[in-house]
Amino acid sequence: MIFLRSPRHVPQVFGHAFRSFSSSSPSFTKADIKLVAELRKRTEVSLSKAKEALTETNNDVGAALEWLEKDLIASGAKKKEKVQDRIASEGLIGVSVLSNGLSTQNAGRGVRAAMVELNCETDFVSRNRLFGELLDDIAHTAAFISDFDAYRTIADSKAFLDERLLPAPLLSARDPSRKPTTEVGGAVDALIAKVGEKILLSRAVSISHPLPPPQSSVALHLASYLHGSVTGGLTSQGRIGALALLALKSSHLPTVTESPTFSEDIEKLQRALARQIVGFETLSVKGDGEIALYNQPFMMFAGSDQPVGTVLEQWATGKGLVEPGEQGSGLEVLEFAKWSVGGGGVISGEKVG
Amino acid sequence: MLRPQLLVQSSRTAARRLYSSRASQSLLTCTRFTPRAAVSLPALKRPNFSCIQTRGYADAAKFTRTKPHMNIGTIGHVDHGKTTLTAAITKVLAGKGGAKFTDYAEIDKAPEEKARGITINSAHVEYETDNRHYGHIDCPGHADYIKNMITGAAQMDGGIIVVSATDGQMPQTREHLLLARQVGIKRLVVFINKVDMVSDPEMLELVDMEMRDLLSTYNFDGEETPIIMGSALAALEGRDPEIGENKINELVKACDSWLELPPRDLEKPFLMPVEDVFSISGRGTVATGRVERGVITKGSDVEVIGLGANFKTTLTGVEMFRKELDRGEAGDNMGALLRGVKREQLRRGMVIVAPGSMKAVKKFQAQIYILTKEEGGRYTPFMENYRPQVYLRTADITVSLHWPEGTDNAAEKMVMPGDNVEMVCDLVHEAAAELGTRFTLREGGKTIGTGLVTKLL
Repeated sequence: MIFLRSPRHVPQVFGHAFRSFSSSSPSFTKADIKLVAELRKRTEVSLSKAKEALTETNNDVGAALEWLEKDLIASGAKKKEKVQDRIASEGLIGVSVLSNGLSTQNAGRGVRAAMVELNCETDFVSRNRLFGELLDDIAHTAAFISDFDAYRTIADSKAFLDERLLPAPLLSARDPSRKPTTEVGGAVDALIAKVGEKILLSRAVSISHPLPPPQSSVALHLASYLHGSVTGGLTSQGRIGALALLALKSSHLPTVTESPTFSEDIEKLQRALARQIVGFETLSVKGDGEIALYNQPFMMFAGSDQPVGTVLEQWATGKGLVEPGEQGSGLEVLEFAKWSVGGGGVISGEKVG
Repeated sequence: MLRPQLLVQSSRTAARRLYSSRASQSLLTCTRFTPRAAVSLPALKRPNFSCIQTRGYADAAKFTRTKPHMNIGTIGHVDHGKTTLTAAITKVLAGKGGAKFTDYAEIDKAPEEKARGITINSAHVEYETDNRHYGHIDCPGHADYIKNMITGAAQMDGGIIVVSATDGQMPQTREHLLLARQVGIKRLVVFINKVDMVSDPEMLELVDMEMRDLLSTYNFDGEETPIIMGSALAALEGRDPEIGENKINELVKACDSWLELPPRDLEKPFLMPVEDVFSISGRGTVATGRVERGVITKGSDVEVIGLGANFKTTLTGVEMFRKELDRGEAGDNMGALLRGVKREQLRRGMVIVAPGSMKAVKKFQAQIYILTKEEGGRYTPFMENYRPQVYLRTADITVSLHWPEGTDNAAEKMVMPGDNVEMVCDLVHEAAAELGTRFTLREGGKTIGTGLVTKLL
């Protein structure tokens, strides 16, 4: 369609427009311009790459797509070296919560989630769909490969990023049945080739705990919030992100969680907690001063002016998790991670016992 | 060569300084002492500025501000040659005496400036064509630009999209066009750079066509938008004039003819916010204020609107410096004598406008920037229903902020210091506002945010 334009838009110097080249030219193959356009539409690669792909594959679009898939990673890796000294301080944080511990059944579920940060040079790129999808997929993959064979806590782990995440096959968050075609590191390089900016997967945390035994008196929950998501973008991404691990401890746990409104109520509370962590300067769960979550007025929970710690106690008592005077049970924030784009962040908390 | 230019610059700085000190006298109406307001300065010709002209820099003649001014920005991928193009434009125009050549290193202060948190330096580069004077802005990021636009620090009236011929448009070119759309730029000019690195003319055609398609997708005029193909580097290095210098001239000509000039303050309908009201025995009621825009002559009909007022009257006198004048114009601090109006009918916060040129509104949507605590703003986030004061010209009205209708999970959405957000402002009293009106949000005596009206509701 786009070729049916009035000729005045065609630069006059190049009057010999629309020459067609036979794709079976014996000496050398010239990329067919229409196929270049089609390839660009389908892959968003640069013009010269699309042309190269078609020249290499004798104007066979199918083969060119395959050629590109391999080449993008290679040329991305080359470009990565070229741009490595540039500053990539824009970007987004993505969270994937595969299981937040809540369940409609009283048994509860395990928890499994990850938070990753993907950086680029300008926020034009971070607002682009390709960037958002890649970030989503990486967060999803990170949550998926997080293993709970060992005891785990939310911890910033360079080893997890380098040894586990970057070589892991990239899973699709939208379509879990899709076969992975590349590993995470390769996908990042391919994006570099497409957008021409430095793209960096700068950090990742993951957390997972197995399903608690039935009738357990302890249940773990995850709360997350992302602030500053791009308009029309994904709510699982933003410029500030928090992931918090909560514990419910009660001898009446199965009975309490059976209540039909319970999961709705606790989700609301969890969202408020995650917002509180993000919105206020929060450096620890407990401790002195208002940098400790428990001492802050819980403004994000219906504008309460009571400290978070007190509100949580009252909430737990109100829900019947705690008997009056009972010690060691209730609802507790165990730990949290809070990041903002460009490097800031807090990871703190007590260990899960 | 160098000396006259320096002199010219200093005279300009002086003018700018004078102008802005004047503007800051009435801080509450300060919405527009942007570089644009400063340089389109019609006041230069007026008697109270004669001190500048009588300094007698003869060579300054070719730099007088008689040409209409416009701010233009380059938008494009980091590697596609925005800075080279900017340098090339100044070089080519410097050859005609329309600019001071600004080389790459001078323009590209971005890395250090970025590190220091300065992102847009709008007064950096300027140049002059036969018809216009341009201020040149580089637009490094979406959020940065939006913030600068809301606060009035930078303003693009038109844009040049720079695309490399080797790559064609990139995925993020969509975001570049979206930004231009969002900030109200209606027309763009496209420069396809690095054409000397592409040997195949068909490829250039494809770049051209894809670009026109994309422009149309984002509601720009894809058919008519000028697309110029050249090499900024060739122009900068002074080689291959057919893709270098000539193309830069073509680009500049396209900017002159295709990009529309923003209306100048003097050409807009008259508006004067009421700052104070006096009753002068034997004469009547006088409202004083600084004329924001337009021209008014004695005897004209005017309308008073805002804060519940909505009536027509006649301007029977214009007074300035205790002298009577026949007319007042943008920039004047004047007193307006109004026929048959009682003192009680007028209040600070109302506006006197050309009849029918403006409406008072109680509800509008606005793009708001919330100051960080480092900028003197709030320390904590706020939620929907937050009620600060809005300072709109001279009016000071309580406002409640809401999310636009249809926002997901509005009750749980928070706004943090440093955020750019689009919110609905519900005023307690009505105030005169229109698209593009700027205002500040204050709470407990400190400014917590600033906004720009984007939609009247």
